[in-house]
Amino acid sequence: MRKLIIIIGALILTGCSSMGVEPWERDVLAKEEMQLIVDPLEVAIDEHIYFSKEASSGGRGFGGGGCGCN
Amino acid sequence: MDSKIQKTAAAKLATATCALLGTAVTVPVHAQEEPEWEFDTALLYYGESDDRVQDISLNVLAVRNYVDDRILSLSLGVDSLTGATPIGAMPFNGPQTFTSPSGLQVLTRPANEIPLDDTFLDTRVALSANWQQPVGRLNVVSAGLSLSKEYDYLHLGANFKVSRDFNQRNTTVSFGLAFASDELDPQNGAPIPFSSMPDMNDLSNRTGTKSKDVLDVVLGVTQVINRNLLVQLNYSFSSADGYLNDPYKIVSIVDPISGDPVVRPPTPGIDGPSHEYLFESRPGDHTKHSFFGQAKYYMGGKVLDASYRYMTDDWDIDSHTLDLRYRWPTGDSSYLEPHVRYYTQTHADFYRTSLANGSPLPANASADYRLGEFDAITFGLKYGWKTESGNEWNARLEMYSADGSVPGNLLIGNQAGREIYPDLDAIIFQVGYRFGR
Amino acid sequence: MGSPCELLLESGDRSVARKLIQAVADEAWRIEDKFSRYLPENIIDRINCSNGEPVETDEETASLLDFAATLTELSDGRFDITSGVLREAWKFDGNDKLPDATAVSAILERVGWNKVDWSRPRLTLQPEMQIDLGGIGKEYAVDKAAGLLLERTDISCLINFGGDIFATGISTNTDGWQVGIEAPDSDGRIATKVIRLMNGGLATSGDARRFLLKDGVRYGHILNPTTGWPVTDAPRSVTVAADTCTQAGMLATLAMLKGADAESFLDQQDIQFWCYR
Repeated sequence: MRKLIIIIGALILTGCSSMGVEPWERDVLAKEEMQLIVDPLEVAIDEHIYFSKEASSGGRGFGGGGCGCN
Repeated sequence: MDSKIQKTAAAKLATATCALLGTAVTVPVHAQEEPEWEFDTALLYYGESDDRVQDISLNVLAVRNYVDDRILSLSLGVDSLTGATPIGAMPFNGPQTFTSPSGLQVLTRPANEIPLDDTFLDTRVALSANWQQPVGRLNVVSAGLSLSKEYDYLHLGANFKVSRDFNQRNTTVSFGLAFASDELDPQNGAPIPFSSMPDMNDLSNRTGTKSKDVLDVVLGVTQVINRNLLVQLNYSFSSADGYLNDPYKIVSIVDPISGDPVVRPPTPGIDGPSHEYLFESRPGDHTKHSFFGQAKYYMGGKVLDASYRYMTDDWDIDSHTLDLRYRWPTGDSSYLEPHVRYYTQTHADFYRTSLANGSPLPANASADYRLGEFDAITFGLKYGWKTESGNEWNARLEMYSADGSVPGNLLIGNQAGREIYPDLDAIIFQVGYRFGR
Repeated sequence: MGSPCELLLESGDRSVARKLIQAVADEAWRIEDKFSRYLPENIIDRINCSNGEPVETDEETASLLDFAATLTELSDGRFDITSGVLREAWKFDGNDKLPDATAVSAILERVGWNKVDWSRPRLTLQPEMQIDLGGIGKEYAVDKAAGLLLERTDISCLINFGGDIFATGISTNTDGWQVGIEAPDSDGRIATKVIRLMNGGLATSGDARRFLLKDGVRYGHILNPTTGWPVTDAPRSVTVAADTCTQAGMLATLAMLKGADAESFLDQQDIQFWCYR
């Protein structure tokens, strides 16, 4: 299992090494609306709502602070 | 008397500079100090239909940027919850009476309606603090603490994350760890799982406070595909251990042929439940695996945010979540963002809408609709606009609708024709303001 | 120029970038070659070696001299392009060797714009006197280079000649340029404040690393030409945002020359500034 993770990791890194942009081509990526989490407060609020109504949680990062609602 | 306005040094300098450079400046200087603190505030209303849960909350996130990329984040949330929630009992064509969650009252519920407990009223406060800083040129480390408190619940958590950039910062690999220790302290103690719902004021089946520990691990890769496309893949592992039951939820005992709740002989002179109910029982541990992928795609000013998550756990629940957001600028400083989210989950292997009287008890059973089989869809629209000083107002309205079904093999007798699963319809309305100081 | 010079511009086109930077660099070198006091045969050298004889100046030099005269008047004599000779007594390298008072007084005899005969275009310096345009030159070069850029392009650009800055244009892609102001005593890697400059000039006057330290008293490198000694109670650094880099730089310098009154002087000018003590 460990070997598999190392192999997959190495493949991802080598595979990824050819993709991407030069440092001066990051104008679009620097925009606020292109961040992976644009509105952390809204994401936290939604995570909390769905965590208390559904059986799944997280994915983006951590499951967030706990509560007595699930 | 000097009627001429005394010119300031700056004004005289402006004239002199104009003479020196030979041209007049056409565009005045425009400089702004970057705020040290950025605040994000939101007021939220969440309301379910049929007098079920309503939540009003105020949330604040404060971020202090230290100019060498060190960041301090602090957040505070206060929620006020009211409303009714299904207790897990099966509806049938007669009224039912239950002992309240505190054990000190009885509640009667009408026939042909999914029984709800409306004694629920709570205020929750949640706090968190997080520190992030670079280590060397390519690594970032962050650590945080979280705390939340409700009337009957206390959560304490710590998290830690490390990430590193590769390939000219086109690839980022991150690893995160979170540990939570929660304590449950229901009024008069948590009931023993699978114990019978007793008469009013009978607290013999109650034990004290309960606890659970949760460990979360996240491994992620973020990759820049091209100038307009960014992708992230995460794998998460979660392991919870301890008291995982909902102390307020029950399962109905039903007749094995008719499927109707079994009547409970009343204790003379004492109020109590009308039928036989058992407090739910869940396993003492829960392991989840999630696979998450997100893409952000820039299309000439508009941004598409698409994500998918697959979750599978050792309670036999599988879920899929598909989330799409499309931000589209409406003018120089405002935007509209429609949102669609589709969610589906299968039921837990110990999910039961009822237990047949006389049959041996399964290892675990819960009628909590949140462990059942359902599809949910969210439709929303968000609007944001920036003020002249660069601050932002935003508002969003979303409708959440969950529709469940009970598999035929779980239904007994008369249950087949009834509405057993408590479908959910809710409104989410939020207003927010972001500003810097 | 004595410091690293750079041009930042918002374009993915290498050939455009090359042409613009060439134009900016050529103008910077032209001004340096013409006005540097270190290069022989240029107008400054001819003036400084004139030994009391009048020198005919060209339009550009004449304009700079007029400007310097205005600054001397505005600052009540504290800004003076003839004060460069005081560097023979003062060496600001962080040591604690203060010069001898009589040596300073002797040099002071050779300082003072009031001793100069300036009737455009003829300049007559007393023998032994020197002029030095170092206090104006860099900011002037930034503005001249900015003028060239504005003629040639609409692209948003930032010129940075060793901390003297000008930003042209408001681009559609970015919300301006982020400029960090260095914290005094850091070695340039930690910024105390970040200014978002959409367009206009930004310049800083400060002790940076040129000072003398004796008995716990810091002697900044900005000298008061009327006394021959450093300006007392000057702030560690002053940064000003103004319509041109020249205005920003001169206001910062004038503020430093006011010593303890730097902040009140800047408050009266109705401009944005950041002052550190």
